[in-house]
Amino acid sequence: MPMAEKLVPVVCPWCSVGCRFYAVSANGYIRRIEFDYDHPTIANRGKLCPKGVASYQFINSPKRLKKPLRRVGEKGEGKFEEISWEEAYKIIASKIREIKETYGPEAIAFLGSEKITLEENYLVHKLSKAIGTNHLDFPGRYCQYSNSPARTMVFGSAAATNPFEDIAKAELIVIWGHNPAETAPVLFGQYIEKALDNGAEMVVIDPRSTRGHKYASLHLKPYPGTDLAIALAMLNVVITEELYDKEFVQERTTGFEGLKESVKDYTPEWAEKISGVPAEEIRKVARLIATKRTAFLVNEGMNQHVNGLNTAIAIANLIAITGNIGKEGVWSGVFPGAQCGFCAAMSGIAPNKLPTGKLVTDEAAREELERLWGFPIPDWIGLDLTTMVREIGNKIRMMYIVGGNIAKSMPNSGWVREQLKKLDFLVVQDIFLTETAMYADIVLPAAAWFEKTGTAISAERRVQRTYKAAEAPGEAKPDWLIIVELAKELGLGEYFKYEHPDEVLREINKVIPVFKGATPEYLAEHPEGCFFPCSEPGEGTKILFKNGFKTPDGKAHLQPVDWREPPEMPDEEYPFWLTNFRLVGHWHTGTMSFESPSLQKRWPEEYVMINPKDAKTLGIKSGDLVKVSTRRGSILVRAEVTEHIREGVIAMPWHWQANFLTLDEINEKTKMAELKAVAAKVEKVEE
Amino acid sequence: MAHKKIFLDYKRCIGCKACEVACEMTHGEARIKVFEFPDLFTVPFNCRHCEKAPCLNVCPTGALFRDEDGAVAFDPLKCIGCLMCAVACPFGVPKLDEENKIMDKCDLCADRREEGLLPACVSACPTEALKFGEINEVLWNREGKIVANLKSSAEKGEGEEAYLIL
Repeated sequence: MPMAEKLVPVVCPWCSVGCRFYAVSANGYIRRIEFDYDHPTIANRGKLCPKGVASYQFINSPKRLKKPLRRVGEKGEGKFEEISWEEAYKIIASKIREIKETYGPEAIAFLGSEKITLEENYLVHKLSKAIGTNHLDFPGRYCQYSNSPARTMVFGSAAATNPFEDIAKAELIVIWGHNPAETAPVLFGQYIEKALDNGAEMVVIDPRSTRGHKYASLHLKPYPGTDLAIALAMLNVVITEELYDKEFVQERTTGFEGLKESVKDYTPEWAEKISGVPAEEIRKVARLIATKRTAFLVNEGMNQHVNGLNTAIAIANLIAITGNIGKEGVWSGVFPGAQCGFCAAMSGIAPNKLPTGKLVTDEAAREELERLWGFPIPDWIGLDLTTMVREIGNKIRMMYIVGGNIAKSMPNSGWVREQLKKLDFLVVQDIFLTETAMYADIVLPAAAWFEKTGTAISAERRVQRTYKAAEAPGEAKPDWLIIVELAKELGLGEYFKYEHPDEVLREINKVIPVFKGATPEYLAEHPEGCFFPCSEPGEGTKILFKNGFKTPDGKAHLQPVDWREPPEMPDEEYPFWLTNFRLVGHWHTGTMSFESPSLQKRWPEEYVMINPKDAKTLGIKSGDLVKVSTRRGSILVRAEVTEHIREGVIAMPWHWQANFLTLDEINEKTKMAELKAVAAKVEKVEE
Repeated sequence: MAHKKIFLDYKRCIGCKACEVACEMTHGEARIKVFEFPDLFTVPFNCRHCEKAPCLNVCPTGALFRDEDGAVAFDPLKCIGCLMCAVACPFGVPKLDEENKIMDKCDLCADRREEGLLPACVSACPTEALKFGEINEVLWNREGKIVANLKSSAEKGEGEEAYLIL
């Protein structure tokens, strides 16, 4: 008898554009995908990128974890034995009790994830608080933690101001340290190219020529980490030439005089000396930004620097004084790298937050949540991911990591691995035996994205539901269920009475005000979802800040910022700037995309981009094996000699092992590390 | 009647290879290939389904045939793997399926068209660099856009640059 096929609507599990498609499912297996052209108002309008088309391949990988594992060999060695779920829960629960008794709950740290649903992040948060710790963070710390705090300081809220459709209405597209043609091809094709069709101009600010570069009328190529100088010089131009939106500045901002004073010496000529970008080009772009309706697409090239916070504040100032906010036809905001970046951020996965969005130090907010949850909540500010890892073996004795691969994704990853060895106890909950899971004492097999129902939130603040289309392999379970069962083992069952993710979402509707209207029923009936804040079902907010900002006085707070050098600059020994980038066919540390044959075949290995002039000096040709070294270590890769990288800079895709070379110097406020600008050398290796 | 075909707009292509992967997921092997050039230009290329198709003309067994939508389609049961189509094709499109010793080529996703769906590569293409339609329909749309852009550029007084944004 032929098996009945059903079309299960799912949200794509990779980037944060929020594409939807159907998984064609039969008998618990996904047979293929089908494009969703039935709902024209969804973000992707039926279209998909290569990752989206191949998105379910990884769930069928033979490397999937199928049973809980207990480490039998040395940490990092990867030797495990299979155990039962009951045994795993017992071991974890007794270890949590033991550590709580010996060191107190503040010795335990939790990591949520940008890859798991809103409901699951919420439960990770609830469990950590129920155990009594505020050491809670997620790997997004190294993603948007320059732009996000900067925008919160200036506008009171970080999220994207407008839906993607406003990008198509913009007159100028500024792509700053972002490569949307590769990281978000659907966004590029459906919104940026549509803007170009409508006559918009495009400007790229990047040391590399990215895929979308051919559409740009101007390409500014600063040295990595020096784009802060460019942002400051642009502020200087807009203010000294009086091109700013005077009415907007007068009525809707504060601090303009201070800003004006702070940038008066940051001339384009000054910026040219630092960044290597001609002053005239900086002037041209600044004038364009001030005179056109502008969409700012900013991402990791700008974010992942120690001085990224300053750059992001300078850009936010620029957006504000040019009035490119709070109206149609402009766009700016954070752009999470993963489909659920907002799920972690908005459920308060941070050391100082409650899921309600308030601070843990806010007594009234804590009391209100205690009333809702029914247990006491610790009142101290916890440690962020960077500090957590630094404190391993000292303040931190145990970590519980859900879906993160910090042994590969964190800067200076060799050192991170050494730190992980010092933990008394490590639990990793994931779908594959990742580099991080190799250091775990207990590994819990989780169900993958297609194997569970839940809520995802895209970069344009669109809240959408995704549904279970396949059965998890072996004994793997959805992350929400693992958390619930572990909580029961810990004697916290009365606070975790959930049978289905719908029940968790209904609780979220009550606890997190911005999701009040995103009920399971509404989202089931509306595949296109709703834009948060959504106060009632059907009442989303498409454009933010139309009238006021989310600051206490409703005005944008312009903040003076100063020039700050990247922490490590090229010198005689390490003469190049090393930066890194993403490939369209891979995602994050490759945990999932390396297990997708169609992607792995097309994007098989890492390489290092070198400018032809630099390559000639070093005697390197395309395809040569070279050794790329920094003060942290060295790796062997093939060289690609190309004009698409400026002289003095080398670049590698980061999915493989680039973070073995990066620097763990951090911004003291945001704890963002220096991931995109470090001093390096390249040597040809004789084969 | 003009036949429907896949038209390629290389200016819109960003080389993401969604078309290749979509084709591979549908047929097991990708029958469309994205060619990459050093200046960042990329061109997706698939079977042209020629009006006067040399492959079809030389096929000795009738394995290649023109279907009702005009696609040069393929009956695997009739193919003897003689490779004549591969020799005759000016674009090197038909490929040998090594395992089954018969040929393999794009049939504009016959199964999908039967269900009223677009070919997989066209469905996926995030930038709409691939278009499925009749030649006149595609050309008229293109001409319409060129005229609209010329008009708006002329209004802005930058007529000589009009071609740059097309």
